[in-house]
Amino acid sequence: MCDQTFLVNVFGSCDKCFKQRALRPVFKKSQQLSYCSACAEIDGKVIVWDSFTTNKEHAVTMPCTWVMACAYAPSGCAIACGGLDNKCSVYPLTFDKNENMAAKKKSVAMHTNYLSACSFTNSDMQILTASGDGTCALWDVESGQLLQSFHGHGADVLCLDLAPSETGNTFVSGGCDKKAMVWDMRSGQCVQAFETHESDINSVRYYPSGDAFASGSDDATCRLYDLRADREVAIYSKESIIFGASSVDFSLSGRLLFAGYNDYTINVWDVLKGSRVSILFGHENRVSTLRVSPDGTAFCSGSWDHTLRVWA
Amino acid sequence: MSGKVAVGSDIGQARRAVEQLRMEAGIDRMKVSKAASDLLQFCLEQAKSDPFLVGIPAATNPFKEKKPCAIL
Repeated sequence: MCDQTFLVNVFGSCDKCFKQRALRPVFKKSQQLSYCSACAEIDGKVIVWDSFTTNKEHAVTMPCTWVMACAYAPSGCAIACGGLDNKCSVYPLTFDKNENMAAKKKSVAMHTNYLSACSFTNSDMQILTASGDGTCALWDVESGQLLQSFHGHGADVLCLDLAPSETGNTFVSGGCDKKAMVWDMRSGQCVQAFETHESDINSVRYYPSGDAFASGSDDATCRLYDLRADREVAIYSKESIIFGASSVDFSLSGRLLFAGYNDYTINVWDVLKGSRVSILFGHENRVSTLRVSPDGTAFCSGSWDHTLRVWA
Repeated sequence: MSGKVAVGSDIGQARRAVEQLRMEAGIDRMKVSKAASDLLQFCLEQAKSDPFLVGIPAATNPFKEKKPCAIL
């Protein structure tokens, strides 16, 4: 478990521009990437798109190369994002072209390692974050105060998802320690833990009813865990799938599970039968993220090929 | 950098781990047959309102590109 990011002076060739420079090593999930200071300064961006017209509605420049997490506030009036800067910042969205969004930025969360996931709770006032330092934390947006922290993972926490009910007080997190843990937000206690995956869990998502959740992992399987039975109830895998699943989401009824993989494809699984319904091609590099729209009419996948594709 | 924490190297840590495991072992579990049939029921009830299962007509689907019809 990484408590801090270390800055070491190493000389070599930069992974991006290949020039011989002093390098800044950057650690993500035990993979090291080295950028020279010129490339590392290149800003990461957060862009808000209109999915119907494909227009960019807002764009904010972040002062760190990798933005790893972003989330919409329930009201749609703000976004939260963070990444290698170890922080989660909230930006209020404004349609006024004269206003500089970066100026209104509010730093909410502070971790000792990269921010891997963030999500607003039921209101715009609280944010839940997951970090490479192995902890999750609940923050108050207004004051930036830490309300609750969740310790228990033995390695980087890569993903989290909040329970769907309005009165729900639980969330599930998945990490590099192969465990998926369910937490009580009020007490900070881990309520249930599931350890059947054989590798890092990249993504967790609650079933629409809130009684189960699915996880996608580097072991090339997705699994369904039932919370009331307290065990894994289904595995979605095929011998021909050998690349890890980076992101999963359910359709509105929970019948279909969409999973994006590192082999550039998206597999659609029938949740109840355990079989693959369809395989979607289109991306030219690994699919890193996937989300179904709130009304269930379409889902969007983001990939290392620099594109976001909406599938309907 | 995901390192493995050496479990049991600290007595306090080991005690806490045991306490946590005892707590997890003590929760009420539902039988899978009941839990699974509940999931199934929920899924089948919601299936009618799931656009991916039922499908929406292309005219109302905002994501389908609207092309002008050219008659040659």
